[in-house]
Amino acid sequence: MKKLIQFKNIIKEFDGNLVLKGIDLDIYENEFVTLLGPSGCGKTTLLRILGGFLEQTKGEIIFDGQEISKVPAYKREVNTVFQKYALFPHMNVYDNIAFGLKIKKQSKDVIEQKVNRMLSLIGLEGYGKRNVTLLSGGQQQRVAIARALVNEPSVLLLDEPLGALDKALRKEMQYELKRIQQEVGITFIFVTHDQEEALTMSDKIVVMKDGRIMQIGTPADIYNEPANEYVARFIGESNIIEGEMREDYKVFFDDRVYDCVDFGFKKNEPVDIMVRPEDLEIVERGKGTISGEVKSILFKGVHNEIIVQTVSGASKTVTMHVLQNHDLTNEEAGEKISANDFYMDLEDVANLSDAEVIARANAQAWDTDDELVSLSKVEYEVKEEPGVYPVTFKTSAGTAITVKITVLEPKFIEDQRKGVGITAFDFYKTADELKESIALDTDLCIWAKAEAWDLEDGSPIEIEDIIYDFDEETITEGDFPITFATKGREFKVHTTKSSEVGKKVDILFSPQDIHVMSKMGNL
Amino acid sequence: MKTFSKLVWPYMAWITVFIVAPMLLILLYAFTKEGNSVLTLQFTLNNFTRFFSDSIFPSVMARSLKIALMTTLLCILFGYPAAYCISKLNDKQQALAILLVTLPMWINMLIRTYAWRGILSYFDFDSEIKVLIGMVYNFIPFMILQIHTSLSKMDQSLIAAAEDLGANKTQTFMRVIFPLSIPGVIAGITLVFLPAVSSFFIPKLLGGGDYVLIGNLIENYFVSTGDWNFGSAISLIMAVLIIFSMFLTKRIDHQIGEEKE
Amino acid sequence: MKALKRKIGNGYILLMMLFFYLPIFYVMIFSFNESKSLTRFTGFSLVWYEKMFASRPIMEAVYYTIVIALIATAVSTVFGTITAIGLSKSRKILREVVLQINDIPMLNPEIVTAIGFMLLFTSMNIEKGFMTLLIAHIVFCIPYVILSVMPKLRQLDDNIAEAALDLGATPFQALTKVIIPQIMPGVVSGALIAFTMSFDDFIISFFTTGPGVNNIAIYVYSSIKRINPSINALSTIIVVVVTTVLVLVNVIPVIRDRKKGKNEKIS
Repeated sequence: MKKLIQFKNIIKEFDGNLVLKGIDLDIYENEFVTLLGPSGCGKTTLLRILGGFLEQTKGEIIFDGQEISKVPAYKREVNTVFQKYALFPHMNVYDNIAFGLKIKKQSKDVIEQKVNRMLSLIGLEGYGKRNVTLLSGGQQQRVAIARALVNEPSVLLLDEPLGALDKALRKEMQYELKRIQQEVGITFIFVTHDQEEALTMSDKIVVMKDGRIMQIGTPADIYNEPANEYVARFIGESNIIEGEMREDYKVFFDDRVYDCVDFGFKKNEPVDIMVRPEDLEIVERGKGTISGEVKSILFKGVHNEIIVQTVSGASKTVTMHVLQNHDLTNEEAGEKISANDFYMDLEDVANLSDAEVIARANAQAWDTDDELVSLSKVEYEVKEEPGVYPVTFKTSAGTAITVKITVLEPKFIEDQRKGVGITAFDFYKTADELKESIALDTDLCIWAKAEAWDLEDGSPIEIEDIIYDFDEETITEGDFPITFATKGREFKVHTTKSSEVGKKVDILFSPQDIHVMSKMGNL
Repeated sequence: MKTFSKLVWPYMAWITVFIVAPMLLILLYAFTKEGNSVLTLQFTLNNFTRFFSDSIFPSVMARSLKIALMTTLLCILFGYPAAYCISKLNDKQQALAILLVTLPMWINMLIRTYAWRGILSYFDFDSEIKVLIGMVYNFIPFMILQIHTSLSKMDQSLIAAAEDLGANKTQTFMRVIFPLSIPGVIAGITLVFLPAVSSFFIPKLLGGGDYVLIGNLIENYFVSTGDWNFGSAISLIMAVLIIFSMFLTKRIDHQIGEEKE
Repeated sequence: MKALKRKIGNGYILLMMLFFYLPIFYVMIFSFNESKSLTRFTGFSLVWYEKMFASRPIMEAVYYTIVIALIATAVSTVFGTITAIGLSKSRKILREVVLQINDIPMLNPEIVTAIGFMLLFTSMNIEKGFMTLLIAHIVFCIPYVILSVMPKLRQLDDNIAEAALDLGATPFQALTKVIIPQIMPGVVSGALIAFTMSFDDFIISFFTTGPGVNNIAIYVYSSIKRINPSINALSTIIVVVVTTVLVLVNVIPVIRDRKKGKNEKIS
């Protein structure tokens, strides 16, 4: 095959922003090339530069042996199918397709012949006189393709042409586009953000991110041998684990060394490891590669998606003191009042406000009609040292209640190996409050002030698991342990088999299922 | 939601009295004899025969039509390039240019027309030219704004598509940009022709007493002569004329559309 | 080539602007003329401004113009907004008919609308004066308010009023707390259009007013027979006021945005 287009170090700047940061790419004759990436990655910009609608800031485009940067759009041998088709609304189907030929002043009968051939290529014979604005999305799409192809370009550029169609139609047009490309035998350069479209149609996929090319390869290459974490995440589903390459064919992660088929990394080089969910299998305990516990099962149609936890996350266990209801009644004023003792972190004492104290103690007062009465006074004196301090809440009618604030030194657990810190406090609640909660897990986190963070940069980490074994509907007084835990190591497994949540299982995979990739920073 | 629909009722009564009734009154006056006691209505076509039998009235009508057409034509001729040039500026400059075009429109039309009297007194133009300048001055902003809107709203990918298909700048303009801006031109024509044909203070301020248009006739018969029946008949004739012209414009618009197909 | 074309284009725009502003500058210059001449500038003076402020008819005309514009704007904004909300919830056929009639004052030549009012007021035996002038202004302002509010109502989520009712709001609360805040930009621009329409109107005012009640435009029209440079002074003041307001309206949001941008950068 012959080289048709060469992009040489293309750089594009818009108002000081680098949209393309040096693109080098060769495109051959008769290829179906897809530029794949999320919006803003520069793929459309690159296409528009080739189409002649934008000029690159730096770099060369060689087209068929010639530099074409200064050639205006209307003189280039490429044609474009635009995002929303850009059909001329004041012309019918026939005149839209004939536009380019009329511009070139071809004779009427030649035009007619060519347009009719195009109409039959796209399966719209007899639609010539139709108004383009009244066609369906799929039909407009075909007209746009015909309008470009009739000019016999050597390259057809397609800018997200399927984006405006619904899912079923998009599938159909994917086959249609591939068929048309094979029939006319020219190069198609196709821009999309849809990985499935890219995988089904392309001969070659160019994965882009932030103005750079991440990987160029056939669909199979890109899927099976992604160059880095970004490509792996963008295409297909994956389990990605940080690890270290101990030596050729030996990779270390989660406290163990595994055999693999990858080589050529530096000794002890930090790497990303990818395992595709469909390469994993769930087997009985003792028969697999890693042991774990089934956390959830999702039915996905063709297969089940089973999440298996192999290493638990950082955790902290606290005690919940469940109390009896302890409303105080003020007969005279016809009011009731209630509040809880609570624990708090020494660090928070400085910022304590009345509203905060009311919220933490869950202090409430209400009258005989069960209407809430506002608390007019909150009296407390808390020193910035550990200890127990009283706090009194009062309504304007004089109904009052006093509870205890216990100030504690902050206690948190730092799990250095996982790089996670976690903290939570004991707390008091009544059985009624537990029953009234409509999102118990969330409330438990709030009541216990449970938080987790990354030890490296302090960014918050989600608390994934809240483990307890009481039933909030039947709970009575007493102390109950609650464990808050972050997410551990989890493997996503796609399998047609099923399992049970909570079952102890093994995951089975072989050395060739492990794919080791360089860290993104090395780019 | 039915509750909200009741909110229309007061306005329905309002427009019946203040919009529909006045129109019906003009009709009634145009077809009745002088003296307007409601009880003694005497229907007649005299007002219309009088208009067409006298040579003065049809010639005033023809003059009004002529000056309105010329105004419209000049507004397109000078307004289109202005709108096109403005649409080529960058966003900030465009906003400024549009503000500058709009600004004079916020100053009373009468005051702006009055302002021309001083300037035009330097020149020895005949009345018609003076009136024409006044009209173009007053109405061209409408044309520019309409055309500019249709040009700036135009889907830029259509222009890119035309260039992609091999059309150079001129061809792109002739085959894509101009045909797609015709709705803007038509809207501009409506906004220019209509007030131009019925205008009465521009000829009075700039043309002197001797330059009479159909609007001046109506004013005269209502304000000076007090012959409201004949005045109503003239306005009715003018209204018919305008409706007919608008109809014609729409037809031409359609024909342009069909020719292209 | 490209640069040359751009230069020609910019030159043309400049020429056009000159045409637009020539008479305005002319009037402004001659408002400072010493003599009564409208063609020869004999020397600088403020005499015409003094005369203008001393002239009772001019001051009255200014007063009536502003008062009528304010009242007509207030009434037509409220009335028009309420009607537009009603229309958006009415049956299609009723809406179409009302909107068609609503269009008449905007499509009709103003002089026809004007004589229609004249005939109406006479046949109802209403003496022409302040009230008739005000009513006429309200009539022709409302259609513009409806026209600018309707698109905002159309953009409104159909379910938004229902959501308010579902959450316990009365129809009146749904209107004032949910619908009106959302269509406010349309209401404001409708009010602005109504104000300028009323402020600038000549033709309809001319036919519907009575003795002693003139607005600025009528005053200018009635004094064209004589040369009266006070009108130049009045025009100059109007031009300055209108320009200042327009510039402020267009510049303030830009400055505010810029400040906001700065503050965001700091924080």
